[in-house]
Parts: sequence; structure tokens; C-alpha cells
Amino acid sequence: MIEKTLDAIVKEVNETSPNLGSRADFDAFKSTISGPKGKLTEVMKLMGKVPKEEKPTMGQKINEAKQVIQASMDDANKRIEESELLSSLGPTIDPTLPSPDNAKGTLHPIAQVRDQVVELFQRIGFAVAEGTELETEYYCFDALNIAKDHPARDMQDSYFMPDTTEMANVSKESDEKYLLRTHTSSVQIRTLLKEKPPIRIVAPGRCFRRDTPDATHSANFHQIEGLYVDKNVTLTDLKATLDYFVKMVFGESAKTRLRPSFFPFTEPSFEMDFYSPNLGKLSNQWLEIMGCGMVDPEVFKSVGLDPNEYSGYAFGMGIERIAMILQGVDDIRYYYQNDIRFLQQFSD
Amino acid sequence: MKISYNWLKQYFKTEVSSEAILNALPLIGFDVEETEVLGPPQMEQVVVGEVIEFEAHPNADRLRLCKVKTTEGEGHHSIICGAKNFKAGDRVMVALPGAVLPGNFKIKKSKLRGIESEGMLCSAKELNIGQDHDGIMILDSSVALGTELNTLYSDTDIIFHLEITPNRVDALSHIGLARELVARFGGTTEIPKIHSDLQAVNVLESNTMLKSLVVEASDVCPEYSAVCIEGVQVGPSPSWLKDSLESIGLRSINNIVDITNYVLHESGQPLHAFDAAKISGQSLKIRYALDGEKVNTLDEKTHSLDDAMLVIADDSKPVAIAGVMGSADAEVDENTRSVILESAYFNPSSVRKTARKLNLSTDSSYRFERGVDPQGLKFGIERACDLIADLAGGSIVGQRVQIGSVNKVMEKIEFFPKAMRSFIGFSVEDAEVQSVFESLNFKVEVDKASDAQWLVTPPTYRQDVSRPVDLYEEFIRIYGTDKIPAQSISADGINAIDHPIYQFNDAVGAHLTGKGFNEAFLYTLRDGDEVAFFKGKDHAETLNLKLENPLQSDQSHLRNSLIPGLLDVLDLNLARQNLTSQFFERGRVFRVLEGQLVELISVGFIGLGKNLERKWLERGEFDFYSAKACMEDLFSLLPFKVKERTWSPIEASEFWQAMHSAVTGDLSKEGYQASIGLLNLKNVKERWGLSHPIFAGSLLIQTRLFENEMKRFRYQALSNQPATLKDLSLVVDKSVLASEVLKTIKGVIAQSIEGFACESVEVFDVYQGEGLEEGKKSFAVSMKFRAQDRTLKDVEVNALFEKIQSAVLKETNYQIRK
Repeated sequence: MIEKTLDAIVKEVNETSPNLGSRADFDAFKSTISGPKGKLTEVMKLMGKVPKEEKPTMGQKINEAKQVIQASMDDANKRIEESELLSSLGPTIDPTLPSPDNAKGTLHPIAQVRDQVVELFQRIGFAVAEGTELETEYYCFDALNIAKDHPARDMQDSYFMPDTTEMANVSKESDEKYLLRTHTSSVQIRTLLKEKPPIRIVAPGRCFRRDTPDATHSANFHQIEGLYVDKNVTLTDLKATLDYFVKMVFGESAKTRLRPSFFPFTEPSFEMDFYSPNLGKLSNQWLEIMGCGMVDPEVFKSVGLDPNEYSGYAFGMGIERIAMILQGVDDIRYYYQNDIRFLQQFSD
Repeated sequence: MKISYNWLKQYFKTEVSSEAILNALPLIGFDVEETEVLGPPQMEQVVVGEVIEFEAHPNADRLRLCKVKTTEGEGHHSIICGAKNFKAGDRVMVALPGAVLPGNFKIKKSKLRGIESEGMLCSAKELNIGQDHDGIMILDSSVALGTELNTLYSDTDIIFHLEITPNRVDALSHIGLARELVARFGGTTEIPKIHSDLQAVNVLESNTMLKSLVVEASDVCPEYSAVCIEGVQVGPSPSWLKDSLESIGLRSINNIVDITNYVLHESGQPLHAFDAAKISGQSLKIRYALDGEKVNTLDEKTHSLDDAMLVIADDSKPVAIAGVMGSADAEVDENTRSVILESAYFNPSSVRKTARKLNLSTDSSYRFERGVDPQGLKFGIERACDLIADLAGGSIVGQRVQIGSVNKVMEKIEFFPKAMRSFIGFSVEDAEVQSVFESLNFKVEVDKASDAQWLVTPPTYRQDVSRPVDLYEEFIRIYGTDKIPAQSISADGINAIDHPIYQFNDAVGAHLTGKGFNEAFLYTLRDGDEVAFFKGKDHAETLNLKLENPLQSDQSHLRNSLIPGLLDVLDLNLARQNLTSQFFERGRVFRVLEGQLVELISVGFIGLGKNLERKWLERGEFDFYSAKACMEDLFSLLPFKVKERTWSPIEASEFWQAMHSAVTGDLSKEGYQASIGLLNLKNVKERWGLSHPIFAGSLLIQTRLFENEMKRFRYQALSNQPATLKDLSLVVDKSVLASEVLKTIKGVIAQSIEGFACESVEVFDVYQGEGLEEGKKSFAVSMKFRAQDRTLKDVEVNALFEKIQSAVLKETNYQIRK
């Protein structure tokens, strides 16, 4: 009698439990079996009436049935738990839809080129120096051996501040005027006055010339100045450094030449040209890329260094110019319009 | 400067090709900006022909059908021509099939309106011989049929447009450049022989048309020479002279004036010729101008002079602005019979100042400003005398009167070959160095001992060479920079770090692009109206950020903020339907603090407070708290520590929207200031026409803060014990800021806590509305407590919590919400 009932319960559980779909159905069915009034509970209650000698056999049978029932119920429970987890999911994804989140932004193309150039010099032991955009005539011209009435000052018509201007954080040498710096070479002077050789710096920054804007002239532009001062710095060192730079930027196939030129703050002075077979429309022609030279003894004198003891080289390049060559941009003004379609062309 | 290849060859007789010269010039310091070919290039199949007869083209009124013969005899070519300026029997230039005219224009047999044409009759312009394009060229009838164009016109010339650096006044002439090419290629410079036999005298002879010559301002005119020539025939120049001047872009005036210009471009010495008859009182005085004195210059302008300008004056008026330009009042013209030639040395800086002030730059002033060759004065005037004798006749009266004498002695430069070798960093033989110097006409006195000193004397036209380092430059320039050996970089470590400003900007760029902002580069100069619009007309910044000499009114002021530029960018992009709406800039801005201008490090960013781009899945909009997160991030990127900040709402501003924007820091005191929030809706709409809400952030930092000690981080011991959280809900007046509430709670915790720590106090909910009194809001605050060494007991935390609540109730008018 008990055995039959047990078999029926096991059978019922085995048949029903795989079909239980929800937690509620599961709980309801479970209580019909093992709840206070459940079928298995009822059977257990009959145990008391079983004759003593049959008890061990019967107990074993009940246990066996319980284990089967438990296993079957566990399976059902696990299955329902899993389906409950999945029911919290939304609709399946479409991996071809774009993400609605904002994509990363881009650094300005001029900044990208500046960073690239700076990094190349950092790699060979140059540290980055900073100067101010407002400078004084002394640091921008006089200390760089550009005399008051020298035609070189004609070459860089500058934006001046009124004589009354006083500045809190840009020092004057005496009573000279403030102006927007025409080149980053002023950083050479400030650095040489503040630090002791050996000095090896690059100074990126914004410069200004009083030019009517056109495709190659902009009210402001950017330069990177380089300076290396130590004992025994040679012209050959200058060439080695700039050759390295040009090959790193424009590839091993690029050739360079130093074309004698004139800057009041270097002697000898050169323009460096390069020639590359891989520059699109600009391939296979000599292109000017920077001015450079050996620091003029007058500059050393103006910062209190003995030109017989120290030597050095300096160079300065226009970042826009390099960017235009590298990126194939033919009008400098695009860089200052900031049309996002332009800005985003220079990164993925 | 323009140099004619044909002209140059008179002084540099060489087999070196024009192409080799062209390639060499940049490498010895003379950059070639452009080359220009004058005259016809080599052309085959362009020959002299004769028009036998012509008739109208049956199908085109404008065209003529011509029979043209190019050889004596029977044969002829049928050629159709559009010109009307010829008649039968005229000799003309014929381009036969196979010819290629300038501009790669190929001549073929072709049909014109149904009739075949076997060539083309050419105009001067089509052959690059002249500018005439009104009709075809008609030649002299004596020219033989079949003569090739290049036989007839063999004077092809190449014009080099050179960029001469300001230190090289000596190269601003054909002889000067020839000297340089001789140094580079070898040979000798062929300098024209002087035939005039003039002595230098310092007093006027009685028979000249000049009775008085006085140099009053000898400080700026150390040497002045004059020669009087009478009986000259002023007239057109011969074609060689005309062509020479025209080839370098000068206009031929008359033989006398042309000769002075020719000598200037030949030797570099500017000359001037006065009509002696127009010199009042037969006297010349070199003096400073009177203030306001007027002079009518040869360019038909009237200039008003000042007393710092030097003039050549006669008894009554200036007849030239010294070294710049002559006066029309003493001009040499067709009626001139006697001339006074001038050759002088004017002080470079004086000429430069005058030319600048008058905005008058001439070939003469350009050379005087740079310092002419002291030895060139004599050559120049004598050369001109020779040419005048040849081309205009006349006879020199008296001698060359010379007042004063400019220094013609060059200092010897002490030069050590060994020092140069260590400067250039490679080895070179002494002999090679010496030969380079000598090729430049530097006199070298060598000491016999190998590394001892040399004495090197440059010629007077090389005033720019005075120091050993100048000699190093001259050596490497002529020796060849291509011979500097390639070498690997020697870069031993130097104890220096990148400037903290650069490090900060670098980090900001990486961070903001990662947050979806695009970097923009804007101009530093902005419109003064804009500054005034936001700051007011009389504000210190409107007044003190103005440039002394702006070029354009919309670029008159230094920028005081990056945000207006970013609004331009947003505006431009929206106008072009580019809906990307977040931009930033890193740059310098300028402010006025306590009357002084300060250059500041700045970062600015803006974001549109509205999602214009339609997306299949909506995301939140950029708002005040987005801007705040960006700004807080920027603070954490600063390389130095900034003490705890509190944000205060901006209560009134033309730039920011009041109570929707906030500020922290003070530029003078803390050295930084950050503003965030909504930009002033009304003003942004008025100035940019942008009507969407725009949120922005602007960080300004004094450069001095970057001199501070950089921040460092130290480990602090952590507790592994569990934390206990307590929440407190407070009802406060609407105007109370979260920061006040937190400060209060932190204060009372600090008074009461003992034996364990409060890790954080944070607002996690803000509520106003139903269930709260009008004018009130509630803050729910969560506090986290933890002990270093044990699990906190409920009883101790509860005891503290009780104390906190009673203290808050006692010390504030906040209510506790249960």
C-alpha cells in the first residue's frame, strides 16, 4: 500500500516537474508533494503505523523515493532559475547599429604634429620648456642680437602693446615695449638666463606676425624652438640631430641639405631643406623646413655665458608648415576654422 | 633681387651652365625664389617667310588665306591667319608643322573652317620675343627667307629672382654675385676697366657749375663725391642698356638716368644725377631737413620731411632725400645739358629710418640701409663717367670732389684653424681652409706653425665678416654643407623634466578628447567690440588688452577667455549642419589684475545642452553637472595640489547665466579661477545667434602656480573592517547649498566622533515638492563609519547618530525628516 503510493508520487513528480514553467507553478506543485499537507508528507505520517520489523525496509524505500523526488525537483528549480535570469534581458542586440554614445574627440591637427615633433626630440634627451606669448622687445630681439634698426626687425613686423602696459608675470629688462612674440627664440634667452648648461630644450608655442592673412599667413601660428648648449657642441652635432628628425618624420628615404642663410642669433645660419619621394604633389623637390645654426657669440654674451667656453646650436620650425606638408593641406586658414569635418580627418 | 644671367656673364666668364649656377646659388646662401626665361626658347621649324599673296577665307570673314614662301623658288605653304596687319610682300615669322611654341603649343596641319592650314604666322608674344599681340610680327625685308628664329633672336636670357639675406649687401649687384660664383666655381671676376682719369680733390675748382659743396651732417654722411659733366646729350638709351634694365624689371628713362641705375645694379653703389641747371645758387649742401620741409620726389609724390631726415639741398630747396630718392625739381630730362653726379656713403640707420617714415623704399635706400662698400663709391662714379662719355658725350669739368672719407680699413681677424675644426666637428686641411678664404678675396696671413694663429682680412665689401665665427660661416658656406659628415646623435642624459605647463596641457588633451571633446585652435586676437560687449567700454580689460597697432578691427584685443572662440566654432559647425557639439581649447589668455596685465594658462570647453543629432537610442544631454565633472577632472590633472574648493553660484554676469553657473577660486588670491555652467542665454543669442542652451567651463591658472612643488602621493593605511552606513534626511530652505549642509554635518561629526572614523558624508538625494512646505527642499545624506581595528557595534554608531541629530537641530534651523 505505502509502496504503491510512493511509486505513484515518484511517477507524478517525474512526469510533472519537467513541465513546470514558472516559479509559482513550481512552488504550488512542490507544496502538493512536500508541503504540510503534501502527498509525501502524508506518506511519512503513515510510517508510525508500519510494523516494527518492516520499518527499516520501508524507511529505506521512503528515502530512496525522497532522493529521486528531490533530484527531480532540483532539476526543475535550476531550470526555472535560469529562465528567470534570462527573463531580465531586453531584446537581443543588433551589432550593426551605431553606439549612441559620443565617440572620442580628436586633438587638433596642429597639436598632433606638435606632439609628434616634441616627442622625437624628447627621445633624444630634449626637455620641453615653456615661454610666454607676450614678450618684451629685449628678449624677443635685442638679446638675440637683433639690433634696434637692423633690417631683420623689418622681416618681422610685430604686434605691440602700448607703452603704458605693465605685466605682472613677464619681466622686462629695462623700459622696453611689450609685444606678441614673433618667434619662440625668446625662450632661448629666458632659459639660458635661468638655467646652467648643459641645456637641451624644445619650446613649442604660439607666435604672431603682423601679416595680412592668406593661404600661407595667419595672424598667429606655432613654432618649435630647439636649443642645445654645452661645452663642445659642434656643427656636425646639429646636422646629426636634424637629419634624425627629418628621417623620423618623413621617412628614411628623405634627404636633407643645409642651405646657408642668415639669422642674427646664429652664426653660421642655415635653412634646412628636405627632399622626399613620398609626399604626393610635393614629392621630389627641395622644401624648406626650418631655420637653424650655431648660437651666435653675441647671444652667449647677452646671457652672461662665455662664448669661448660654451657652444651650442638652435633651430626653429613652423608647425603649421610641417603640418601642411605632412597632411597635404593647402590653406593655413583651415586650421583656424575648426570645421569638425576637417578636424576629424586626422584621426580614426 | 633680380639678376640677369646674360648680364652676370660679363663679370663671370664661364662654361658653367645656367642650370649648374641655379643649383649652386641656394647652397652658397642665395635662395632662388623663381626663375624667368626672357626671349624665345630653342624652337625648331620657326623660320622667316614672305607673304606672296592672300585672299579672304571663303567661310570666315575674319580669316585670311595666305600663300607663304619660306625658300626662294616656287614652293609655298597655304596658311590661314587671323591678323590684318600685313600686306603682300611682308616678311613674317612662320611656324611650320612640327614646331612647338612657348607654352607647349604644337603646330600641326589642321583644317580651319573647311580649309587646311599648313602652319601659323606668329605674333611677337606667341614667340616670347615681346609683348606685342596686336598682330603678327613684320620683319625687315632684308632678312633672308628660311632664317631660323633662334638665329635671328639669340639673346635668350634667364632672370634669377634671388632672396638676399640682410647681411649680404655685397651680393645686391651683378658684380657682387659674380664674385660669389667665382668663389664657388673658380675663375676670376671680370671687373670693367675704368677709363676716366679723375683725381680726388676736396675743393671745388672755379670752372665747375658747382660753386659750393658742403657736408653739414658729416655724422650721417661721412663721404660725398661729386663730378660735374657738361655738354651731355640726353636721349634714349641704346638697346643693350635698355634691355639690361628691362630684363630686371626697371623702366628705361633716358641715357643718364639709366646709366646711374645700371651702375647701381652692376656694382651695388647707388648714384644720383642732378641737372646742374636746376641747382639754385650752384650750391649743394648735405644737411638735415627742416621740420615740415616739402620735397616733390621723382615718383610724383610730395613728401613732408622732418629734422631727422637727411637731404641734399641747393640754395632754396631739397633736391634729393639723401640715399632714398631725388627730387623732380632737379631731374635730368631731355633738356639737360650739364649734370652733377653724386656718389656717397649715407649712414645705414639714418637712411633706414627715413625710408621707413616716408614709406618709401628704393633700390638705393635698400642698399644704403644695409651699408654700401666704402671702396665702391669711387668705382661707381668713375664707371658712370665712362658710360656717360660713351653714351651721352659731354666732358668732365674739373676732378672728382670728395668731401670726407669713410673708413676703408678692415680689421684683421685672429683665426685659429684648430678652433674652427672643433667648432665644426670634423677635420679639414689648413690648405683647404686657406683656399676657401682666398677664393673670397680674404687676405690670409698664415703663421708657419701648424695650429697657430692666422690673420684674415676680408675685403671692404664684406663688412659683415668681423669675427672668427663669421669666418667659420664663410668657410662652411663655400666648402659645402654637404661635406659635413653624417654622424649619429650623441645624447647623454640631462637632468631636466618637461615643463609642468606642458605636462598639464598634455594630460588635458588626452582627457578631454577621451570625454568626446574635439580640440579647436582659435586666434589669440579678438574683436574689441566683443570684449566691450561683455565687459563694458570702460572696463580695465577693454582698455588694457588692446594692441597698440592692430591690423584689423576684428583682431584688436588679446583674448581674455577661450569661450568666445569656441562659440565661433560651434556656430560655424552648426551653420554647416555639423552636429558635433563638444569642443575645447588649451591656450593662453590675458587678464588685468590690480592694474597689471597677466598671461594665464587656460582650458576652455563647451557643450551644447541639447542633443541635435537624432539617435536611435537617446542619451542624456550635456548639462551643468556634466560641465562640473569635466572641470573637477581638470583640477585632478593639475600637477600641483589645489586646496579644497567650494563652488558658489554666479549671481549676476553678462557672460554666464545667473544661478545656472558657478565659480570657484580667485585669480589674485589662489592663483586660479574656474567657471562652469550655462552661458548667458540672451547675450549668446544676441552675439552669435545661437538659441540653444550652451554649457561651458573655463579654467584660468597663473603661471606661477606651476612653479609650486609638484604633488606627491603617500600611502595611508586601510582598514579591513566592515563599514556602517547611516542616512539622514534634512529639510532646509530652498536657497541652502549642499556644501553648507555637508559642512555642518561634517562639523558636528568632528565634534562628537571618538574611537572610529567617518569616511565620507555624501548627498544621495535632493527633493522638493509634494509633502514639503513651500520654499523648502530636502537633502538625504549618507554617512559611512569605520573603525581601524574592529567591527563597529550598532550601539556606538547609534549613539553618535543621536548626537549628530541633536547637534544639527540645535545649531541649525534644519528639520530632520523621519
